[in-house]
Amino acid sequence: MRIEQAAANGTVDLVRERVGAALITATQPHADTLYLRVEKAAVRAAAAALADDLGARFMITTGIDRRELTNDFGILHLFSFDRGHLFVMLDCAVAPGDERIDSITPVVPGANWAEREFRDVVGVSPEGHPDPRRLLLADDWPDGVWPLRRDVPYNLQPSPVAGVRPPLASPPAGSSVVTIGPFFPVLEEPSQWRLFVEGETVVGCDYRGFYNHRGIEKLGEAVLTYNEIPYLAERICGICGFIHSTCYCQAVEKAAAIEVPRRARYIRTIMLELERIHSHLLWLGIAGHIVGFDTVLMQAWRIREPVMWLAEEISGNRKTYGMSTIGGVRRDLPADLTSKALEILAEVEREFMAVRSAIVGDGTLMARTKDVGVLANEAARRACVVGPPARGSGVPIDARLDHPYAAYDEVGVRIAVHEEGDTWARVLVRVEELLESIRLVREAVAALPEGPIVAEIREEIPPGRIGVSVVEAPRGEAVHVVVTGGDNRPYRWRVRAPTYPNLQAMPVMIAGAAIADVPITLGSLDPCFSCTERVESVDVRTRAVKVYSQGDLLRLSRAAGGRR
Amino acid sequence: MSTSLPTTAGLAVLNVALALLLAPLFEGLLRKLKAAIHSRKGPPVVQPYLDLLKLLGKEDLRTAGGGLYGAAPALTLGSVLVLATLVPIGARPPLSFAGDVVVLLYVAAISAVLLMLTAFASASPYASVGSSREMMMLLSVEPVMVVALVVGALKAGTLATGGIIVWQLANGPTISMAIAGIAFFLALQAQAGKLPFDIPEADQEVMGGPLIEQSGPRLALFRWAAWSKQFVLAVLLVEVFLPWPGTGAFLLDVPLTLVKALAVLVVVALVDVVNPRLRIDQALGYYLRVGFASVAALAFAVIGM
Repeated sequence: MRIEQAAANGTVDLVRERVGAALITATQPHADTLYLRVEKAAVRAAAAALADDLGARFMITTGIDRRELTNDFGILHLFSFDRGHLFVMLDCAVAPGDERIDSITPVVPGANWAEREFRDVVGVSPEGHPDPRRLLLADDWPDGVWPLRRDVPYNLQPSPVAGVRPPLASPPAGSSVVTIGPFFPVLEEPSQWRLFVEGETVVGCDYRGFYNHRGIEKLGEAVLTYNEIPYLAERICGICGFIHSTCYCQAVEKAAAIEVPRRARYIRTIMLELERIHSHLLWLGIAGHIVGFDTVLMQAWRIREPVMWLAEEISGNRKTYGMSTIGGVRRDLPADLTSKALEILAEVEREFMAVRSAIVGDGTLMARTKDVGVLANEAARRACVVGPPARGSGVPIDARLDHPYAAYDEVGVRIAVHEEGDTWARVLVRVEELLESIRLVREAVAALPEGPIVAEIREEIPPGRIGVSVVEAPRGEAVHVVVTGGDNRPYRWRVRAPTYPNLQAMPVMIAGAAIADVPITLGSLDPCFSCTERVESVDVRTRAVKVYSQGDLLRLSRAAGGRR
Repeated sequence: MSTSLPTTAGLAVLNVALALLLAPLFEGLLRKLKAAIHSRKGPPVVQPYLDLLKLLGKEDLRTAGGGLYGAAPALTLGSVLVLATLVPIGARPPLSFAGDVVVLLYVAAISAVLLMLTAFASASPYASVGSSREMMMLLSVEPVMVVALVVGALKAGTLATGGIIVWQLANGPTISMAIAGIAFFLALQAQAGKLPFDIPEADQEVMGGPLIEQSGPRLALFRWAAWSKQFVLAVLLVEVFLPWPGTGAFLLDVPLTLVKALAVLVVVALVDVVNPRLRIDQALGYYLRVGFASVAALAFAVIGM
């Protein structure tokens, strides 16, 4: 019996023991996915059985408006048994007219944002949730309009209301507020942290983000088709674009049982690891900049540059490669790539080692990062953090190992784990990962098999299937859930970027810290809030800057569409 | 030493002119050095002059009213220029009759105090965090400078800056003065607002701290004052602690002093470029240790070493 089968059987038994007849069905739509339909009254007991008794890690919740199919709303809590290589989906049906379900946040603290989000977007209220405020909807968005309900058009634009303020938590007595954001030098993107401070000491904080929420999931479900979505998914993030497009494709491939050719899986692996290399170098530079160490910023980014050129050589673009498609990749590696790639990797490795020895021996840097922003192992598990923040706190999870995808089952990954949980540990994890990524690219290039790069797909993708896919992004595990639909597009496409769980650990990490430690603590999560919402272009001849508004872009894209 | 009024006035004007006109050039050279270590090309050496011109030509915006707030930038620059007349540049300190190292230290602190007052008045949380850091830094760095200069006064038996230099030239290097010189150099790192001690301004934490609400001509004057102060203190360091060879020939000593001061600032910039920023409590602990070390210099001075 395979390991995931054993885990699945044990799970079903225990959940049935805990909730009895409330467990309606248990199916396994894919070898690594266990699908449990439970009565909504039993959702908290079932979640407690999974998280507390079996040690499953909460990943994300998907809210679905299924009124046109089964006349209910689906609340799908997703858990992972990392060692068991198994996803567990808890599906609870919520009847229209009584859009309420018990919150699982009391037993799974990491579900906090996920539940606020489905309250915002599908209008199902998590009863007993500690925070009644909106998470991602704009403050002036009208009440009673839930954008991910199927009857809300994707292009609905409620008229803006002036003067609406976000509901802010009030600071504890005796403390004052120092805000970081919405615009702040060390945040590349808008997000607002309100620090409650006494003198230089932080006693609490409040967060308001999602200023750039773009409604990407809705676009995927309402406008685009299966094979157009990878290009949108790629634009979720300005750094790990290939990760999101791959993760989406894998979810669809799983749902439709499409077998991806081996060569394509290797090419995906190579591109994913190249993305990790340049992302970690980018992060190292930013982390240096945050503590005023601009020499590290400049040198790390200089070292990073050849990796971008390599990506450009392969895909035609430094970033946003446009290489993903369902069933494989759209572009083969150039024939003469191997020697050039190995040359660049050797140079990056040599120069990075020099940077590494400079930072590892630096007493001042150690003083700024050791015992700073500590996330203890227990707190990390409770907050369900992923990626380097988890591995820096002694939680040995890595999607490449736990839920192998692409070619990671063939090229073995060694993951970096440190126990201390401080900012320095997160630095070390990324430093080691970067070297490991260089090794992985070398190994994948050496073992690159011949063959087709994309699967031939003859049949329509059947509706009503579900696919769960993860990719270990540089910042942690990215999750995509796809429920297939008609019209050649997903019925529901759920995206969870790794920063989503990681940011929720911030309050624990900065409690009692000095103000000066907050930026580097936040930076040590490598946060990626969202991406740009507009495009700026500079005419090199006239040096005139034109900023395109959303309207301009729409007009341009429509004009381009008309020409086609 | 009695000197004629014209000579004194001439030296004073020369010192003020050197501080005002050369400080941006020194800053420009340091930026080039920093850029080289970053593998960057860096801005032109004259960029600081251009920055000043640009800022001086901008609208004068104020976030607070009041006479002191309005005059603070000019007063800050003025206090630094007065400091320049109390410091010897290749010759005797021009206004030595007006005071000794005690006056000099007081005048040196004025610009920091004015900056703090401006910051508190500008009513920004970042400015007030920044200026409370500025105050803590001042309180921990100032004693180090005091002790370092008192060592010289003790050795030379005079509080006059010129007298200490004369004694140094006559007696050559000593252990106590060497230690005091190192302590003074470490204090200079903070006084010049360089890493790892640029904590009050820390862009990434408090967005320029005390200066966050300053713009246009006011920012220009604060900048100019800061560059001039770093220049004057570097000169003071080389004159008091490294006065050799001290040829006595004015036209030779002035350029020699300037080159030595630049060399000191190059070292300051090198320390700046290879260090991240300390936290304020770490910096205070650091200067506490430097303070104790400089007391050791005092002990050496007492036993005549």
